[in-house]
Amino acid sequence: MKQENPDKTMRKTILSSMILIPMIPFMLVIFIGYFYSKISIENRTVESMQRIVEDHRQMIDTFLRERRTNLQFIINTHSFETLNTSRNLEFVYHNLRTISNAFVDLGVFNEDGLHVAYHGPYQLEGKVYKDEPWFKEVMETGVHISDVFLGFRDYPHFIIAIKKKENDRSWILRATIDTHIFNTMVGRIRIGDTGEAYIINKQGLFQTQPRTGRDILEPDPARSTYLRPHEGVKTYTSVRDFGWFLGQPDAVQNDHLVATTWLKEKPWLLVARQEKQDAFSGLRAFMYIVGLIAVIGSAAIVFVAFNQTGRLLQRIRDVSGEKASLKSQLIHATRLAELGQMAAGFAHEINNPLQIIRSEQALMDFILAEMKEKKEITNEQSLEELEDSMRQMIIQVERCASITQAILKFGRHTEPQIEDIDLHLFIPEITGTISNKAGVLGISVKQMIDDETPHVRGDKGQLQQVLLNLFNNAIHAIEDRHGSHGGKLTVSVKPADNASVEIAVQDNGTGISQENIEKIFSPFFTTKQPGKGTGLGLSVCYGIVEGLKGTMDVSSQVGQGTTFTVRLPASENGKG
Amino acid sequence: MKILIIDDEERFLHSTQKLLKRKGYDVETASSGEKGLDLLLEKNIDVVILDVKMPGIGGMETLKRIKRQHPTVEVIMLTGHGTAEYAVDALMWGASDFLIKPISVSEMIGKVEVSFARRLVLENKIRAARDIEKDRHPESKQPINNESRKDK
Repeated sequence: MKQENPDKTMRKTILSSMILIPMIPFMLVIFIGYFYSKISIENRTVESMQRIVEDHRQMIDTFLRERRTNLQFIINTHSFETLNTSRNLEFVYHNLRTISNAFVDLGVFNEDGLHVAYHGPYQLEGKVYKDEPWFKEVMETGVHISDVFLGFRDYPHFIIAIKKKENDRSWILRATIDTHIFNTMVGRIRIGDTGEAYIINKQGLFQTQPRTGRDILEPDPARSTYLRPHEGVKTYTSVRDFGWFLGQPDAVQNDHLVATTWLKEKPWLLVARQEKQDAFSGLRAFMYIVGLIAVIGSAAIVFVAFNQTGRLLQRIRDVSGEKASLKSQLIHATRLAELGQMAAGFAHEINNPLQIIRSEQALMDFILAEMKEKKEITNEQSLEELEDSMRQMIIQVERCASITQAILKFGRHTEPQIEDIDLHLFIPEITGTISNKAGVLGISVKQMIDDETPHVRGDKGQLQQVLLNLFNNAIHAIEDRHGSHGGKLTVSVKPADNASVEIAVQDNGTGISQENIEKIFSPFFTTKQPGKGTGLGLSVCYGIVEGLKGTMDVSSQVGQGTTFTVRLPASENGKG
Repeated sequence: MKILIIDDEERFLHSTQKLLKRKGYDVETASSGEKGLDLLLEKNIDVVILDVKMPGIGGMETLKRIKRQHPTVEVIMLTGHGTAEYAVDALMWGASDFLIKPISVSEMIGKVEVSFARRLVLENKIRAARDIEKDRHPESKQPINNESRKDK
């Protein structure tokens, strides 16, 4: 469990940096790209709307100017006298209708405001218009296009009136424009699905009917936003028509893109508007694409991050595992070396008292012999026991001495004489020295030396010591299991990884238990009976192989046999 | 034959001397290299048994000085610190043998006898060489005559 925690922290760190570091620039690019594209798309939409509105205004202005010019042409080509009868007027009206069917009626007024002649659907002859605002206006300016008003006929309409001065008398020609035709013309604007256009006057009252269903002469609820003097086309990117559709909460939210421009012929404001959703539908599509890219990109980053983090962690685990095993090997080797030095120190110190015991024993032995000779000791049995004890003292001192000698060998720090060794020649030399012993015990010794085996770097004497030790151990194990029949001892030599050579000594002896195999290279560890082995052989071998920059391993199965593997560095030059 | 044992282990000196004396050898002891060198000047020693690891000047240095001052005296090294390096060094500096403790006293006596025999052979050779010298130049003085006699 404890192992998990740092692992998790590391995983978190790696994962978060692998996600965040690419994610931040990625998102930045997405956002900046989106932002600038949005502005560009919006600008294009607005510009396109401005162009449409400008064209539309020109068309409406042209319409109004043409109608005015029509009337001016009539008034310039006719005198008051030729037009002050309804019959004459009817003829002119019909001519006028061939030019434009927008004219609803035609009327002639004298300077007192009396409707002298009229042709049209209403009965307006004889009415006096002296106090009507349009009349006052035309008398003053000469030409007048009126706002939409109800007038005597009580129906929304607007008129174009022109004054002519003739022999000190003024008269006025007036025509009504078909509200329906004008409405249709103004309203016929092609901007997306929700685009519409209408006109409001200086007071903000509708002069034409918006498609979205308001009545003429009603005030425009949004008039305060855009009813202001300006040149050219002005746009508003967000106009909300609160109260436009009361009781329709969905519509209330509709945000509009609005473009306005003042007409040239008449101080009317042409308003064109489109629901923003519609106007910027291209933008929305773009937004979806960007969103999709962002999502897919992020998903890819996260996926790669998870994937790579997993692999990275696995690598780190592998490497730290290797490191840990190397470290434990190193600690093991260091501990062995320290132990060896310490043991050597002890051995030296023990040798001195052993020598004293030896001397004392020799002295006692001598005195005893003297006393025996002089017949000072007569008890035969006691004498024999004493002599036996004396022999034991020699044997036990000998035993101690052999241990200290082994320890000294183990702790010895002689520099190995490193040279190139040709194992093709060297291995048979050593197996030769044990062949007699093996033969007696019925052990078949097999050598398998790979032809490709290069020379190894090592000390011949030390390597001999190691191999003999392994062979002797193997022979003991075989003897314990098979007696003098059926033993097999195999030495195989072959090139191994990392420019090394592997020497495997395999026996079919008793094998080593798992419990013992862990301690097999430790000094003083032995399974032999007391006095039969010092338990230093393999630890000495281990130390030697380490000293030769090699490694030593063991694998064994109880009842199957044991394989000791020694790996030594291969020589750089020379092939075996 | 006179034997000198140099060792810092007093008890070893004591019991070995006693034993060897009982066996009929003339034995001197010294508990340090310096004392041993003093004794060598005073007494006519044939074989020295020398410990390697001792306080003071130590066995190897003692060996060097003995061999410098008394080249014909045989020195047997006897040590608990038996390493190949020490042995090679000691033999190089003129020790006649290198024994590792513990060693049986009889074996030790055997080595001493061998060394003593070698010394006798060497002395005889020297004497013979001198006799030839004397025959050729009967008038010349024999500067090492005194010492040669004392060595016996």
